[in-house]
Amino acid sequence: MEYGKPEMMAVAIIRQIEDGDIVFHGLASSTPMVAMKAAKALGKEFTYLTLSDGVDHDWTRPPYVASTLTENTYTGSVATFGLDEIFDLYCSGKGDIAFLSCLQMDKEGRIAMSYLGGDYERPKLRGPGGAGSATLTPVTKKTTIWKTTHDKKTFIEHVDFATTAPPLDKEMTVITPLCIFKKPVGEKYLKVAYIFPYTTLEEVKENTGWEIDQTEVPVMEPPTAEELAAIKKVDPNNILHFEFK
Amino acid sequence: MPVGGMWGSDLVAIRPEFFQVMKSPFDDTETVCVKALVPDYAIVHVQEADIYGNCRILGPSYQDALMARAAKKTIVTTERIVGSYRMQEEPKLTAIPHFLVEAVVELPGGAKPGICYPEYQAVDWDKHKAYQKAVKADEVQKYADMMLEGRL
Repeated sequence: MEYGKPEMMAVAIIRQIEDGDIVFHGLASSTPMVAMKAAKALGKEFTYLTLSDGVDHDWTRPPYVASTLTENTYTGSVATFGLDEIFDLYCSGKGDIAFLSCLQMDKEGRIAMSYLGGDYERPKLRGPGGAGSATLTPVTKKTTIWKTTHDKKTFIEHVDFATTAPPLDKEMTVITPLCIFKKPVGEKYLKVAYIFPYTTLEEVKENTGWEIDQTEVPVMEPPTAEELAAIKKVDPNNILHFEFK
Repeated sequence: MPVGGMWGSDLVAIRPEFFQVMKSPFDDTETVCVKALVPDYAIVHVQEADIYGNCRILGPSYQDALMARAAKKTIVTTERIVGSYRMQEEPKLTAIPHFLVEAVVELPGGAKPGICYPEYQAVDWDKHKAYQKAVKADEVQKYADMMLEGRL
């Protein structure tokens, strides 16, 4: 079966989830939404929380829009748990993964989500803010950032205004179309943990705004037929490709 | 109010009027405190309300109940007015109780071009774009008039 960057990213997200995890993704998060539905189809046993209040909604109903604020992530839920409750849950240390994104990121995993260009008062682009990432990143066991572009405008040497930054005592994972970066517990900087099968470490270096001094990194296993079938099954409308158009 | 998270965010330093750091009186750990927001009004659209302002939210409720508690005054718009017997049948489903509500307006379709579960479940993008255009052109009143008259 064929696959591209969207499927590889989705599979990397699926593999990030472990049985027993409590997992949350934010709004406008079509990539983790499809991946998490596929993880359910693969039989992973985890708790799926969304901004639509739904707990473990009926993942067999295919998404029809890229928005993650519709009834699609609510209908068939077994309980409701609002965002304020999710924040409290994560702040009490019970949240395992939050799939979040960013406008820019630097080598320390510091995230720009508030603005790009100019300054805080007079930005060129006002971002969606970051109540979510600023609250969740310091308290989540495995904060995982997904970003569907990997270039030097996105991954830069230094972010001027960090909406949030990963704490020293927690790991952070960053999933891009080319690779997975990880900041291990107790360390300050992101390292390339895996590259994807269709790329090279050279290509990753060329598209990253900080210097990567690693010379050898493992290649992630390509998606299995089972993983690709699960993605196809939960996403017949191909919402997964929305972020890659 | 003390909150979890927020450490490491530059938001704390740039907005001292909203964020301050203090030591926990229990164990001296540094804790971020956030100033409570008290909006003058919260305007909330619900599926069912009675004439006293008791509201049932029959789908995702997001932070609507929280906003109603925070605001000085809450105005409710509702898909339909129902008898209070609906609330008495299942009091737990009343998301916002009457004493938090200043006014109730019966306004079917009041969340359009957005979503109101399960009455209308998809964003009407054409009308949403018309709204964005109206905001930019400072013609929101005209847009609202046309919407209320069914002329959009």
